[in-house]
Amino acid sequence: MKTIKSNKKCRQIRTWLYKAISSRIGFDADWLQNHIANCPRCQRRIVSCGKVNLALSVIKSQPHKLDLLMRANAQAIGVLKHGLRQAPKAQKLRRMLPEPKLLERWGKYAHPAANAAACIAILLLMKIGVFFSMDKFQGEGQKIVKQYYSSHVGQEMADEIFTPPRTN
Amino acid sequence: MSGKAISYGQIWDFAVPKTVDESQRWVLSAMQRYGQELVTMLWRILGNEQDVCDAYQNTFLRLAHYEDRGKPEHIKAYIFRSASNAAISMLRRRAAERKRLSQCPRSLLCKQSSGGQDVSSPANELDSKYLQETLRCCIAQLPEHLRNAITLRDLAELSYAQIGRILGISSATARVYRCKAIQLLSVWMNKEKKERK
Repeated sequence: MKTIKSNKKCRQIRTWLYKAISSRIGFDADWLQNHIANCPRCQRRIVSCGKVNLALSVIKSQPHKLDLLMRANAQAIGVLKHGLRQAPKAQKLRRMLPEPKLLERWGKYAHPAANAAACIAILLLMKIGVFFSMDKFQGEGQKIVKQYYSSHVGQEMADEIFTPPRTN
Repeated sequence: MSGKAISYGQIWDFAVPKTVDESQRWVLSAMQRYGQELVTMLWRILGNEQDVCDAYQNTFLRLAHYEDRGKPEHIKAYIFRSASNAAISMLRRRAAERKRLSQCPRSLLCKQSSGGQDVSSPANELDSKYLQETLRCCIAQLPEHLRNAITLRDLAELSYAQIGRILGISSATARVYRCKAIQLLSVWMNKEKKERK
């Protein structure tokens, strides 16, 4: 329990530190942006780093043929031992096509799911709020009516009316 | 006596292949589990489908023959490292072959790969083929530790924690290596551009 608490605190401190440091010496800091705007050497460096990142992005964006995995599997299985080549799993691998990851597959539903969750949360909060307020209003109203009765009819009478009957 | 020996021999002959096959089923499981990621990484390193198939085949052949057909302790690490090494050696071989055929310096190799166009023109500066080939040429020349970091992070898209586990270093070190690799690549790619001018 203690270690969990200390871990949480440690994480909080790290987050604060990161925020404090990044606002002062991060890439978006004003003084750094001003320096880059006026320093040709830094500009050159950033441009060349950008070029590497651009090349990496270009490489990543190139799609391969859909049957590449199937062909690679078939070629690799072809050089394995006879027993492995004939295994049912090998047959399956020879016909295997690339499948999107679970996160990518369900990613399109993330936005509607988040919206639905937000709606449910709002409804729940409203329901809780309404019921809580109703109880409060009832209690307050009862108090006012009791006060009215006690001032006009008498305290004893008011107590008799508003005290709930005892159950044996 | 001799009959007994023959029968034992036959039993032995049938038993051995079966146990080897049974014990090597994990190769197919590894193929099923990591094949897709591996093909993606190899495609990004090599950019040629036949080369991808060859490197993939080499990787699994090596895995199947690992130390007396044993199982490596970290299969993922072994597969990714040997695939990356195989791909890089292929890239180097390809570059050397081009160099030998054209009898030209390294700076002209990438020019050739971009279809023999004049790469110094601003229109070709952003030519994707030229950019890809230049980057591949430069990655192949990086020192091993930097090359592994950038390959696994940017081309295989693994997390720093996974890279750390694969390379046997901390995730912070992997981050530093990747940063250094980017710096070195940017210097080399800039130099390449100046050489052309």
